[in-house]
Amino acid sequence: MAEPAPPTAELALRRRLPPRLPRRPGDVYVNMKTDFKAQLSRCQKLLGPAGGCAEICIHGLGLAINRAINIALQLQAAGAGGLRLAANTSTVELADGLEPQGDEDGRPPLARARNNSAIHIRVCRASPPP
Amino acid sequence: MSNAREKKRAKKMRNQPASVTLSSECGPCHGGIQHHNGGSSSFQTTKQADLHPDSSQEYQQQRPQHQSPGPSYRKEQHFSKGQNRGERGRGRGGWGGGRQNVSQEMPKYVTASTFAQARAAEISVMLKAVTQKSSNSLVFQTLPRHMRRRAMSHNIKRLPRRLREIARKEAEKAVHQKKEHSKNKCRKARRRHVNLVVEFNRRQKKNIWLETHIWHAKRFHMVKKWGYCLGDRPTTKSYRACYRAMTKHCLLQDLSYYCCLELNGKERELLKVLARMCSIDTGPTFAAVPCLSGRLQGSLVLYRADRYPEEVLGPITFIWKPQDGSCITSETRQLWIWTHPSLKQEILSELKAVCQCSEPVETCSPEPIVTLLQEEKQTDVAMCVGRKRKREDNEGETAVPVEKIIGDGTRVPLQSYCWTSQTTGIVISDLTMEILRYRLIGPLSHCVLTEALKTAPIQTVMADAETELNNWWVENCKNSEKVSLHQRQEAIFKLLQGIYSPSEIAAGTILGLTVGDPRVNLPKKRSKAMPNPEKYQVHPSDLASVWATTIFVALACTQFCAGEIVLTTDTADYAAACTDNEKVRQLLLEGVPVECAHSFIWDQTICKNVTENKIPEQDLNHMRGELLVPGSQLDLGPRESKIPILLVQQPGKVAGEDRPGWGSGWDIYLPKGWGMAFWIPFVYRGARVGGLQEGLKHSEYKRTPHIPNDFPDCPAGIQFAKELENILLEKFKRRPPAKRANYVKLGTLAPFLCPWGQLNRDWEVRNKAQEESVVTSSADSKSCATQRQVPCEPKPGLIIEDPQSGMMEEMTEIQNLCKEDGAATSSGFFVLRSRKLLKQLSARCRPTCGKGQRVRPASKLGQKEMTEDALLSLFKCYPRVLVWVSLSLIRKGSPELHTMICIPTQEDFLQLNKDQLFCGPQEPKHSDIFKHKILKLKERKKKKNNEKALESGASDALEAKAVEEPKELILGLWPDPLPDVTSHCSRVLLGFVTQGDFSLAAGCGEALGFVNLTGLLHMLSSQPADKKGLVLLRTPASLQYRFARLNIEV
Repeated sequence: MAEPAPPTAELALRRRLPPRLPRRPGDVYVNMKTDFKAQLSRCQKLLGPAGGCAEICIHGLGLAINRAINIALQLQAAGAGGLRLAANTSTVELADGLEPQGDEDGRPPLARARNNSAIHIRVCRASPPP
Repeated sequence: MSNAREKKRAKKMRNQPASVTLSSECGPCHGGIQHHNGGSSSFQTTKQADLHPDSSQEYQQQRPQHQSPGPSYRKEQHFSKGQNRGERGRGRGGWGGGRQNVSQEMPKYVTASTFAQARAAEISVMLKAVTQKSSNSLVFQTLPRHMRRRAMSHNIKRLPRRLREIARKEAEKAVHQKKEHSKNKCRKARRRHVNLVVEFNRRQKKNIWLETHIWHAKRFHMVKKWGYCLGDRPTTKSYRACYRAMTKHCLLQDLSYYCCLELNGKERELLKVLARMCSIDTGPTFAAVPCLSGRLQGSLVLYRADRYPEEVLGPITFIWKPQDGSCITSETRQLWIWTHPSLKQEILSELKAVCQCSEPVETCSPEPIVTLLQEEKQTDVAMCVGRKRKREDNEGETAVPVEKIIGDGTRVPLQSYCWTSQTTGIVISDLTMEILRYRLIGPLSHCVLTEALKTAPIQTVMADAETELNNWWVENCKNSEKVSLHQRQEAIFKLLQGIYSPSEIAAGTILGLTVGDPRVNLPKKRSKAMPNPEKYQVHPSDLASVWATTIFVALACTQFCAGEIVLTTDTADYAAACTDNEKVRQLLLEGVPVECAHSFIWDQTICKNVTENKIPEQDLNHMRGELLVPGSQLDLGPRESKIPILLVQQPGKVAGEDRPGWGSGWDIYLPKGWGMAFWIPFVYRGARVGGLQEGLKHSEYKRTPHIPNDFPDCPAGIQFAKELENILLEKFKRRPPAKRANYVKLGTLAPFLCPWGQLNRDWEVRNKAQEESVVTSSADSKSCATQRQVPCEPKPGLIIEDPQSGMMEEMTEIQNLCKEDGAATSSGFFVLRSRKLLKQLSARCRPTCGKGQRVRPASKLGQKEMTEDALLSLFKCYPRVLVWVSLSLIRKGSPELHTMICIPTQEDFLQLNKDQLFCGPQEPKHSDIFKHKILKLKERKKKKNNEKALESGASDALEAKAVEEPKELILGLWPDPLPDVTSHCSRVLLGFVTQGDFSLAAGCGEALGFVNLTGLLHMLSSQPADKKGLVLLRTPASLQYRFARLNIEV
């Protein structure tokens, strides 16, 4: 991704939403705005008998990776050995929209790609050993 | 006596005139001597009659309610000569007492003249009482029960004959009061299709109906606004449901009332002319390259020509028609300007003036559009003629079927809606209601669109030789280049299914498309369109494929992959997915290519063809009925209409930090006539429909100004504010005075409008006064300023020009502006819309050292080595400027319309520091200095016995005091010349809120409004660093201030 914008053009950078897949009932996207406790209890509810999910998937992107891990570990600690974790990391490509502020134009692209790390933790009830 | 009896008597007496008393007990024992001179006993009719056989005959001849004086006179003379004086002396006593005194105080003589006079007066009173009916009930309601008959109100002849005359009059009155209704035909006749269309056509002559009007009218509260009939809000309870639809699913709005103005001309000419009406300061203009090429939709604020900071016309969006690939006709360009109907007249007249387009186009015009317009007008005329003929032969047998009005029903047939200019060669045409526009808001608007619309198949054979149906499409399909373009558009449209939300692609992306008839693949039941996981192609580096490749192998024995979204185990599929991924990625980064923005909707001949050759709903249903397998898919084959449409992405929330992309969606532009054909399929795909109120909420949660509410400096905004004030004032006056809020006591000077002009003037005066005092202590402020300087670092990603030179430019720019200001005598105020200045302000409003917050890039952004006082001196040039701000409540409270924004004092901050739960200070109660005056006036009015019906508490200014109070006083409101608005209350006023409510999106009270720039800078300079941007809000009907954080979002 080159930087074709000439020095005369002023551009504003606007972050767009990360691409996402349609959400299943067991998907939890962790963010930094919601209270930690609330997110934890949400996961617990999903895993509980009323939640109806045999397994949930906790996704954390960027800054929220720490929090996602934290939630997963807390769940495991509270689960008394009844839960198993499987963590995966990945890289998510994000797009930042470039908006020209004036009329001059060096034909910049409409967006610029940027990579960010993400973690996906699968939490499921441990199957009884055969 | 029992209570009930007294009550009965009281009830009987209620409607009697005061001078006459009625005795209830006239038993037979009072027989012969019950007639007194003074006390009257006129109403004993029949009972008396049997006791006086001599006079009973006469009684029966009389009508009961018109008791003639004759017999009673005679009786008086018979029985009680000389009773007169004694009775009179005692007044009207009870019967019992009177009777005892009869024998003792016999009058010696009776004077005939006085006696007769007294009787005559009584009789006249009685007659009056009898003739006038004082109760509210109808005649047949007053009849005793045994005389009532069924259906008396329906048939007068069931009433006793003596009452018939009165009943007839009453019935006539009732008929007059009822609304004039054309009940000349029975309901069946009225509901017959032809008559219904005539009626509908008549009703949309005055206010334009949208094509979805009937649908809306059944489900919405309709309002007449801006010359249209529009759905205001749904009749169902759906405030929250509409919000959910916006956030999670899809909300549909009919925006066809927006007006489209088309400009045709040479690109250079157009740009030259339009550049005068907008400014580069406010953002990209018409000449911005991505917009000019036709890839993106642009939006900007128009001003009167060469009057940039002042005299706003209003915000618009615009679309350039993309240049043809051949580049032969690249010189003449087509431009659509979409405006709100309340702004249209102003903008149109200004455009005409600027382009010098004065002469309406009549005949000799080479443009195909113009001739088309005229053709259309001719058809309009034909339609009118047809209707007239129909009206004349009322018998039936319609030779000329009445046509439904499609498009603008209020247009005058012979008037031109197209103007041209000889000098510039620009043609302006008013395309109001020619192009329909629907808006889909929400992340799943993709799903709704892609499910409802199917791209048109390639067609090379005409369905019928004689009809014009689809001939343009067949023509088009012969050209291989155009076919390939269509296929590329189709491919991009398919790719959209793989994108979750419209906010993931570039703002304002335009995609042209040709689609098949959406009515064909209508689902049987209304269902919710949900994203299909299969359509979501996996990104190679994305999570699902990671799962698929690594986890699947590693943990295949466990149940991990049971619920996986995409299992791309097949290698061929995987390869295909990868290529598609690349395409999606390219679409996200580069946007839709320019060629794909092309659509046939720009071509008016094709639009007209499409509108005219629409298969009627009836025929379609008929064909459905003839299907061999009922309920199977209808295949029209070559007869299926092809409709050119335009899809335009609407960016959601772009400004601010939280909720990026909230409320994004798609706008769909259709040729007229196809409104309902597209509307129903969208609704059947689960889109919830909203009205004007939902649109308002949408812009409120997006924190964007709403048209025309939030443009106080443009004519439409002023007009809107006036109307709103009248409505609110009327509502206020409808309440009884004791139940109204006394705004004088609450210290609210203007509860129903925002006095922007006065606010700005007062701040100007205040500022001047301060300056004089500040000069002495300037050294102090300078030290403050130097303290607050923050190290500057360039924002990563923001490619900015050299800060120093930029600043210098800015300085000169601003100074130029100031000069212009001075020249314009600064009569009015205006709203600051220059992006650079707003950015600087926005950076200044944020707390520079917040506790517990992440390090914000606040200091990085705008402060290009500009010291505080330098900036201040710059902004001093703008004495009368408003700034658009957004406010979010810190703790409790939900702001309302016209909430006051005030500056907190030092004590407030101290208290907030001490007590974290401190809600805010209270305003001390003001005294109502006008109440006394109003009461006095009222008393005087009473004395004068002025019986004019006046507004409660309002004086009519007839009296001597008229000089002092030229305007009427209303209890609880300040009379017109307001005192200094800024310093009226204990906290200094900064501005007003124009939209405010509890925000479902943010979860706290949020408000949008304007503050005075001078006041804002004054406030910011005096606030401590960690409390920057904290203000107090107070609703008009409360004394409680609440803390809120002020933000300027650019």
